[in-house]
Amino acid sequence: MDSQQITTLTGVLDKKMNRQLKQYLDICARCAICKDACHQYVATGDFTYLPARRAELIRQIYKKYFTKAGEFVPALYEARDPDENLLDELYESTYACTGCRRCMYYCPFSIDTAWILSVAKAILIAAGRGNEMLGQLADASLFKSDNFEMFRDVIVSGFKDIEAELKELTGDPSAEIPVDKQGADILYVALAGAHSILPAAAIFHEAGASWTLSMFESANYGFFLGDVEKARKIADRFMDEAVRLGVKEVVITECGHAYRVANIFHEAWSGTKHPFKVRHILEVIDEYIKDGRLKVSRCIDVPVSYHDPCQVGRNGGIFEQPRDIVRALATDFRDMTPNREQQWCCGGGGGIVAISEMDAFRLKSGKKKVEQIKATGAKIVASPCENCRLQMEGLNETEDLGVRIAAIMDLVMECMDLPGRKQAAEGA
Amino acid sequence: MDTYLQITTVVGVYVAGVVFVAGMGWRIYQWATTPKSPVRLGMFPKPKTRGGRIMKMLKDTLIAPHSARIEPRMWLFAMMFHVAALAAFVGHLRLIQEYPVLPSLLGAEGMNAFAGWAGGIAGTLMMVAVLYWIARRTFGPFKQLSVPEDYLLLVLLLGVIIMGNHMRFIGHVHATDYREWFQSLLAFKPVIPDSIRFSNVGWSLGTHMLFVNALLIYFPFSKLVHTIGSFSANLVRSE
Repeated sequence: MDSQQITTLTGVLDKKMNRQLKQYLDICARCAICKDACHQYVATGDFTYLPARRAELIRQIYKKYFTKAGEFVPALYEARDPDENLLDELYESTYACTGCRRCMYYCPFSIDTAWILSVAKAILIAAGRGNEMLGQLADASLFKSDNFEMFRDVIVSGFKDIEAELKELTGDPSAEIPVDKQGADILYVALAGAHSILPAAAIFHEAGASWTLSMFESANYGFFLGDVEKARKIADRFMDEAVRLGVKEVVITECGHAYRVANIFHEAWSGTKHPFKVRHILEVIDEYIKDGRLKVSRCIDVPVSYHDPCQVGRNGGIFEQPRDIVRALATDFRDMTPNREQQWCCGGGGGIVAISEMDAFRLKSGKKKVEQIKATGAKIVASPCENCRLQMEGLNETEDLGVRIAAIMDLVMECMDLPGRKQAAEGA
Repeated sequence: MDTYLQITTVVGVYVAGVVFVAGMGWRIYQWATTPKSPVRLGMFPKPKTRGGRIMKMLKDTLIAPHSARIEPRMWLFAMMFHVAALAAFVGHLRLIQEYPVLPSLLGAEGMNAFAGWAGGIAGTLMMVAVLYWIARRTFGPFKQLSVPEDYLLLVLLLGVIIMGNHMRFIGHVHATDYREWFQSLLAFKPVIPDSIRFSNVGWSLGTHMLFVNALLIYFPFSKLVHTIGSFSANLVRSE
């Protein structure tokens, strides 16, 4: 690697430097208490995935180029250049990381390894080693907003198809999926595909909510890629829409990272203050049920467990609402051990489900989750995150768990009194 | 002997003191002047009030309850070391000024006996903890993760502790004589009392201070800055 390239990469580190990062790089004692916090390290025993090791690679560059001691006595810190070997290992350990921040939870200094790795991603991108798949997906999202007129009709007609299903399901011919509705209370940001739109539409309809559906999906591959600029632009798509429509709140669908991006990252990235609230759909559903706006019956009699997605629980602060919803729907709710802020990551976060070369590793890393699910004896595992569900469905298959992995909204819809479904059932 | 003591217990102490204070000042200045991340890095659940956040930060920093849950043995040794180090530090304050109440209660003999066993316990606990840490870094992922800095610090600590214990367990010199030496340093009129020079622990004081000086000089440029940084890093957890 020539000095020009090194200057570029250390320049990225310099540009990304902030107080927290500097402290994390200065104070880590390499005590390795984080080792047993990481599902990937625990499942594989591979040193590459030890959280402190992942951060150590950035620390080695930092020590050499940002501290006098490391400049004069690099051997003391194993300080070194960001050479090809370092970048190879960094790519592996950084894009494998799901960003669950369980290591931060157990660290005596609360070192946020994922935050250090967000800088690692920026360095990898500058070195031309950003993950290609995530990059393509991020660019596709931006292409959609840059050429929106090209897509608009297709999107709206897709929504109309779902609306037809909604009319049938609710038995209400006036039921609709509003788009571009000025002055609606809620802008609902779904994922691509009917599965995250129809149940929410049925719930909003039943609760009599004033809502409108976003033209854009909440998934943010720019965030997974580690390109803050792209990530912000991808989130801007629906944030700008929310401002334009003058909504009171933006409600994010059952998706982990999108909720954290919208709720925590976006304001900091864009330097603006949202003129609306950001909530997760489960907060809204829980409120509807508790206010009596949404009638559900306790229709599930098999044991149900709940998996806290890291970005919704530990990193998003939503612990009780989903549990309350599940308890309202099921007679037998069984929490996993450990749960809430100590919940094990399922292994599917951080964009890793989109990286096919990591598939085998990803499924292997779900070892702890498999043990947890088995221990509950649950027949349904509910989780409000698409990536968690994809991962757990994979585990379900490879480990023969024999459980059903479900979105909470799906369970809610099953326990709602929907005339359309009754007719369909009677007809069948 | 006199030259050795002159270097380690007089000149070395001044050099180490200056480097330590300036180095830590520089480190804190660097942290303070680097802008904070605009992104909040806290995790949930987190206290809602500022007071609650500070209390949680103090608890997380001083007791590390989460670390205790995941690796109880490491936590035990770490607590052992840090509490004993704090006790030893407090004990060493006698070198600046005799405690106000305790000596009059215990009498001169009683005070020396108290300092003897209290210091002995602290020194032994610290030594055991440091030996545990060294042992822990000799195998598996702990060894893989370790860099020379880690061993250097542990060796320096071990040197400080062993020589301190040597003075504590072998020597018959008590705080009054050490205080005379240390206060003379503080007054910039350094004197090494004959009671130390001609005792059986003169060279141990010299070697104790050799390790102390080296540790203090390296301190601001090492991971030991976690003594200060852990407070602010743990506060970020609740932001």
